[in-house]
Amino acid sequence: MDPYLVSVLSNIGLFSFLALSAWILLLGGEISFGQQAYFAIGAYAAGIASAVWAWPFTAAVLWGAVLGAGIGALIAWPAARFTGVHYAIATLAFAELTRAALNVFHYQRDVDGYLTGPDGANGFGDIRWVYEAGIEPGPYLAVIATLLLAVIALIGLAARLDVMAQLRMVGEDPILAAMQGVRVLRWKIGAAAAAGGLAGLGGGLYAHFATYVEPAQFSVMTGVHAVAYGLIGGLGTALGPILGVLIDIGLLESLRALAAYRMIVFGGLVAIILILRPRGLLDETLVAKVRAWARR
Amino acid sequence: MLTLENLSKHFGGVRAVDGVTLTIREGEIFGLIGPNGSGKSTTVNLITGLYTPTTGTVTLDGWDLTAMPQHARTSRGVARTFQNIRLFGNLTVAQNLWVAQNGHEQRREHFLSRWFKPGGEHGASVDELLQFSRLYSKRDVLAGNLSFGEMRRLEMARALASNPRVLLLDEPAAGASQEDGQLLAERIRAVRDRGVTVLLIEHMMELVMGITDRIAVLNFGQKIAEGTPREIQDDPQVRAAYLGSGHDEKMERASA
Ligand SMILES: Nc1ncnc2c1ncn2[C@@H]1O[C@H](COP(=O)(O)OP(=O)(O)O)[C@@H](O)[C@H]1O
Ligand SMILES: [Mg+2]
Repeated sequence: MDPYLVSVLSNIGLFSFLALSAWILLLGGEISFGQQAYFAIGAYAAGIASAVWAWPFTAAVLWGAVLGAGIGALIAWPAARFTGVHYAIATLAFAELTRAALNVFHYQRDVDGYLTGPDGANGFGDIRWVYEAGIEPGPYLAVIATLLLAVIALIGLAARLDVMAQLRMVGEDPILAAMQGVRVLRWKIGAAAAAGGLAGLGGGLYAHFATYVEPAQFSVMTGVHAVAYGLIGGLGTALGPILGVLIDIGLLESLRALAAYRMIVFGGLVAIILILRPRGLLDETLVAKVRAWARR
Repeated sequence: MLTLENLSKHFGGVRAVDGVTLTIREGEIFGLIGPNGSGKSTTVNLITGLYTPTTGTVTLDGWDLTAMPQHARTSRGVARTFQNIRLFGNLTVAQNLWVAQNGHEQRREHFLSRWFKPGGEHGASVDELLQFSRLYSKRDVLAGNLSFGEMRRLEMARALASNPRVLLLDEPAAGASQEDGQLLAERIRAVRDRGVTVLLIEHMMELVMGITDRIAVLNFGQKIAEGTPREIQDDPQVRAAYLGSGHDEKMERASA
């Protein structure tokens, strides 16, 4: 496969984890502008584990996901008491704090004669496990795609067990949900943990793909994009946020002619879609119609 | 069966509900009427636990509900509809019912067993409720895309899905036509015939007078009368409360 195509597809796959992370919270009724923080946490944690501690790749990436989920749950415990704008601001503040902390986070150790590990604002390079294991970009793309498909399958299973319906209940009308026996706070914390874990998983995969990460990559713009992906792609299905990533990275970023105007075009697109289809392209109405049609 | 004992709710200086005591008997359709702002909705909110009372108690079959959270009351058999329709607009009609039916049960049941009766293949009683509410053909439509009348019917079906002992209907005819009012009356009777006790709050006097067994009247948060529809229509205090509020005419017509 064309190396450029492999790289674009890998990026689409990696940012899909981040988009799904923000999407889960959107279903639960919260807008988070801070999911990039969990992406960063996953990237740094997995990078440190494989590059500094010499853990195997699988364990390192898993550790990034677990840490993302744990911190997500920990932050949600107080943050879930906020709603709307307050929640958005709280998540944004947390993400900026995380980025500021990474800017001064130095943890370098001697690995085979080289100082390896996060070096504050200078970033964190030599996350080379994948390359040293001789895994080419093509097969690594397959790893990303497989994990993404597994996540989508897991969400499909959750939908079948009506987990997603209950999360949507909490998001739409927490009072009515509580009346029907749904434990709202638990769902909010659970959603935040799942979202943190997904972003952490994506971050770990990203660090091993890029081999170099720095705090500046995890800016607020990244978090805003993550929310926008779900909003334009649609909230009706897990494929929605992935469609959003496809549109942004696959179309806008890759079309050279548009590259200079990418932000403007993307912003305009978000505005237009939100006016025409407030819950995105693949919204609940469309999904319900497809389901009804499929059952016939 | 359902007893309110000296129930009050004050919002700052507003005595929304002020020392109300009443008992609703098993199997009856009980009407709760009163001018706008007289505390009817607040009473429902106190019974379901949306508000905690300033004073007084709510008991159902001898169980003190007063300190129970809302979902515990739901599983004890209290269900309601809202004056301003509340549904999960982004869930399908069937999902709204299915989740309501299972919401209070699932804590007891292992969630993996739900695999065998997932929401997509709704169980028998959800189908039956869909038929009962004339919503079967709409089962896969999002609740938010229903017509107003269908939403009202779904709301009542949702309340019935939790298998209640007492159903609180807060102005179910609001916004409905005369004709719909007739159908609604039939449906409320059918609900009662299923063995559900009904507390009906309603402005449409014809409806209330026609189908209730007994009525209590609230005014400024206080109960000013209680009795059969005929006794209520003849009550001078009730007539006074309604005078000038535009409802006296309706009362005349209903009693005519
Ligand atoms: N949450 C609340 N906060 C403050 N005042 C309230 C609240 N709910 C109701 N009230 C007041 O309590 C009174 C009774 O309201 P309500 O129970 O809605 O009347 P009804 O349903 O009979 O029209 C009104 O004066 C209303 O303004
Ligand atoms: Mg009211």
